[in-house]
Amino acid sequence: MKTIKIWAIIAIAFLSLNIQPALAFCGFYVAKADTDLYNQASQVIIARNGQRTVLTMSNDYQGDVKDFAMVVPVPVVLKEEQVHINEAKILKRLDDFSALRLVEYFDPDPCQRYELFDNDTLESSAPLPQAAGRRQRKAELGVTVEEEFSIGEYDIVILSAKESDGLETWLIQNGYKIPTGAKKLLQPYIKQKLKFFVAKVNLEEYDSQGFEKLRPISIAYESPKFMLPIRLGMMNAQGDQDLIVYLLSPKGQVELSNYRTVKVPSNLDIPEFVQKEFPAFYTSMFQKSYEKENKQVAFLEYAWDMSNCDPCSAQPLNREELKQAGVFWLDSPTPLPGNRRSFPRNSNVFITRLHVRYTRDKFPEDLRFQATGNRQLFQGRYVVRHPYKGEISCSAGNRYQQSVKERQEKEAQTLAGLTGWDINDIRQKINFVEVKTIPWWPNIWN
Amino acid sequence: MSYSISRISQSEITPPSNDGVISDRWLKFPDIINDARDYQIAFLGCFLVLGISTRDWTLKTGLIVAIASSCILTQWVLSAVVEYSKQDNFNYGIFTAPKVLNSLRSALITALGLCLLLRGNSYQTVILAGFLAIASKFLFQFRSKHFFNPANFGIICALLLTNDAWISPGQWGTDWWYLLLFAGLGGIVLRKVGRWDTSVVFFLSYTSLEAIRNFWLGWSWDVLAHQLTSGSLLLFALFMLTDPRSIPNATLGRCFWAIAIAAVTFILQDYFYLSSAIFWALFIISPLTILCDYLWTAPRFMWERGISNE
Repeated sequence: MKTIKIWAIIAIAFLSLNIQPALAFCGFYVAKADTDLYNQASQVIIARNGQRTVLTMSNDYQGDVKDFAMVVPVPVVLKEEQVHINEAKILKRLDDFSALRLVEYFDPDPCQRYELFDNDTLESSAPLPQAAGRRQRKAELGVTVEEEFSIGEYDIVILSAKESDGLETWLIQNGYKIPTGAKKLLQPYIKQKLKFFVAKVNLEEYDSQGFEKLRPISIAYESPKFMLPIRLGMMNAQGDQDLIVYLLSPKGQVELSNYRTVKVPSNLDIPEFVQKEFPAFYTSMFQKSYEKENKQVAFLEYAWDMSNCDPCSAQPLNREELKQAGVFWLDSPTPLPGNRRSFPRNSNVFITRLHVRYTRDKFPEDLRFQATGNRQLFQGRYVVRHPYKGEISCSAGNRYQQSVKERQEKEAQTLAGLTGWDINDIRQKINFVEVKTIPWWPNIWN
Repeated sequence: MSYSISRISQSEITPPSNDGVISDRWLKFPDIINDARDYQIAFLGCFLVLGISTRDWTLKTGLIVAIASSCILTQWVLSAVVEYSKQDNFNYGIFTAPKVLNSLRSALITALGLCLLLRGNSYQTVILAGFLAIASKFLFQFRSKHFFNPANFGIICALLLTNDAWISPGQWGTDWWYLLLFAGLGGIVLRKVGRWDTSVVFFLSYTSLEAIRNFWLGWSWDVLAHQLTSGSLLLFALFMLTDPRSIPNATLGRCFWAIAIAAVTFILQDYFYLSSAIFWALFIISPLTILCDYLWTAPRFMWERGISNE
């Protein structure tokens, strides 16, 4: 018997953090918070231009593959050529590229009198991109097998149904164990004439190819519906679920049209020690923001033109990778004069990363999206400033130390406000600068 | 969401009746605020401040100024041109004529409506929207009455003619206190202008259609509740649908008109998946005002005199 897993991909992810210093224009990028932070996180890529859509569903299913199956409502009947088995690394690339970022600055020696280092001069150095199935009528159940095919390690069936009773019976008869209450939730999708994409693992293929993990499935279709069905997923979920959606559009930002889209707090100065516990910081901050917004909004974590980043947490995706992510509208590269290799700027791809934490009571409706012409850039960015640690030998140094101390206290309060952590615990972790009074007389005779 | 004073001959105006409910209420308000549009300006201004400060809107100050300037300037110039066309000789006094200056209130309401609803990246887009919104009042008239809601006309034009304009239907969320605030403030305004019937009829018919669909699909009722508590829907129904100058004059005409808008909204939203369905519906149905006024006659609304007997 296959245990059906409907839409929600439940995973126990391990906390992993790549601390990988890399040069970026306004400081050093040192850490990123990636989606591994969330316990039950599904990841989806939607590349859409007009009514054409390429949807990629990640599959971080951790159980026994022989028990795996999933049912996803889709707007149209999908043929074999509309389904593609993708690679997990493309989600990782998008995740890394759009992740929240921590940047660090080092204070200069307050006593040194020289032309001030202007960070803005480096501004222009943001890196450029690198480059049929058999038809089987089950009249008595009202279920039609529209398409049936095997692709990669998956056996896929596209069903259309007239009644949820029939669909439920068909699934049970065919060896799927469906959760209780599924019937009631399947009905509205049947009435809206949606089809059902049912996938399970082809064990022979899976064993022979030696896959370690189930790979993401991409589907291409044309439909005016720009939505994600989350209701079915809430059926076999315990508590909150996290969904990260990477939306790729030639126009600009994508937002939800039936829920508010809110930016995560960003561009804030936080204490130095957070560098070591950035994932914990982000998890707490997200939870706090989520509660503050009454648990009923989608959070915007990143909105950027795919041709650059600033600072970059990962290299922008190249043409091949964008194609793999489902971007189908890229122009053919125009060769540059001479024999130089062309680097197409992907200026017609705009990425929006939405993070939705949803529960049944706060998100009654499926997510509806709309592409907008909004090309404002946004990123979740947090800043640590390291005080000058060297010898301070001038009276200006006193003022500097005093200002750093005030700054550190302000950072502690910002952090407490953002995460809900205890202010005294935070203060204990901060290495407050000691203000040493420099006597005035040594400078008289030197 | 916008109102104007268009040219109208005195003979067309029916004097306010003594038993008119609105006229009586009108007298209870302090004399300082002698035009219901001042209330509209105050409410819409409040919403704008509220939205920007609490709802995470990305509205640039520069764009707000551009919309306001575009609307007010267009209104000023076009009103002056209309005044000029009535006179034999030109004098600069036209620009400061009370009638011309008075009409700037309407332009400000249109500007606030556009600021609340329309989003764009560039100055050209919002300036175009503001200009066309006001110009539509002068261009699309039938028997000296404009039939497009100016702000709505500006929004649709910006959506059609530019690449970077959009509407954010989810921008208000569904928090309950907004519902109360909108309903409360909206109610006061509606009592002032006397066109509450369009909002009620629109709400009733839209709710019924969505409820039937919800029931037929088998969704739980919180789906319907979520749809109906959308702040954008409430704002639209309470402040845009009630524009007394562009909607039908007679109660029956207005009811028919509001039902038509509800039905078109429902179809565009649920069968054509348009996220800004209400604005398209109002745009499509607006010319029906002419037909409604033809079928059901009633005296026209005038800002300065409150509402006449119907």
